[in-house]
Amino acid sequence: MTAFNLNEDQQDCLQELINVAMGQASDQLARYLDTFVHLRVPSIEQVSTTSLSNSLNQEQQSVAVVSQGFLGYEGIRGEALLVYQHKDSDCIGNILGYEPDELSVEEQLIDLSSILTTTFLNVFALQIDNQMSYNAPRLLSSGQDALAVYLQQLSFNCDMALKVKITYQVTDYSFNCDMILLIPESAITNIKAVIDRILADY
Amino acid sequence: MTSSVLICDDSNMARKQVVRSLPSHWPVEVQTAKNGIEALEVLRKQAVDVLFLDLTMPELDGLGVLQKIKEEGITCSVFVISADVQPAMQAKVLELGATAFLRKPVEAEVLMDELQVHGFL
Repeated sequence: MTAFNLNEDQQDCLQELINVAMGQASDQLARYLDTFVHLRVPSIEQVSTTSLSNSLNQEQQSVAVVSQGFLGYEGIRGEALLVYQHKDSDCIGNILGYEPDELSVEEQLIDLSSILTTTFLNVFALQIDNQMSYNAPRLLSSGQDALAVYLQQLSFNCDMALKVKITYQVTDYSFNCDMILLIPESAITNIKAVIDRILADY
Repeated sequence: MTSSVLICDDSNMARKQVVRSLPSHWPVEVQTAKNGIEALEVLRKQAVDVLFLDLTMPELDGLGVLQKIKEEGITCSVFVISADVQPAMQAKVLELGATAFLRKPVEAEVLMDELQVHGFL
């Protein structure tokens, strides 16, 4: 089933906007890490926020998550989660070329997340003639309960959301991170209107 | 003389975008393909002058298509149009024999310049 009843053209348009934004974000990441980032086709689906916290927890016994809220004009808003496996977050200092104790792992994760999130969202916004503002990124304490509680308390506090999942694979370092965008149901209607405007030009 | 053009992208919108970015004075016959496998089917059956090729696609991706074109000795100029703009990726597609790399969403003027540079206009 298509997420939130996006028709085929709307889904295709959204996917294409995401592809362009994801491409620019991976380019920034590649330059930052001085390596190559492998991209796959992103997934777009409709999820309940409860099932989301379960699925995040199932993937590994523990994950590190950086969360950042975003807000644009015309009621476009959501939450961007950067999800790291613990084994990857532990080696991030090496990848970034930091000396031990130069910068905490938390700060490094937040840096990396900001690059990906702001590049992605700025490019996405540009394509739809919008502009985003961001909340300060937050590192969520790991552990099942903390994550589940956080997801349930998200600013938009909704039961259902559109979930966009993008995997950035840095093969040189066997380092992966997932960017998960959660767009609440109410914002989807607004995004649909924007997409229809773009599609009307074709 | 009319040129034969094939546009390969999994996105309908992206295909349309390429079609409408083609120079209006360029006489072309346009065909489209939704993935790499479809594109290769067309390329094996008939002569195509220019292939506009996306990279990130399901089934067979753009790099796979470039590889097959090389392996099978298919003659065709490939203009890669991709959102994956990493310098390493640009170098890779050129190394695999692509004629040019254009970033998505493609702009009509950029496309026209590249076609001119490579002698299609």
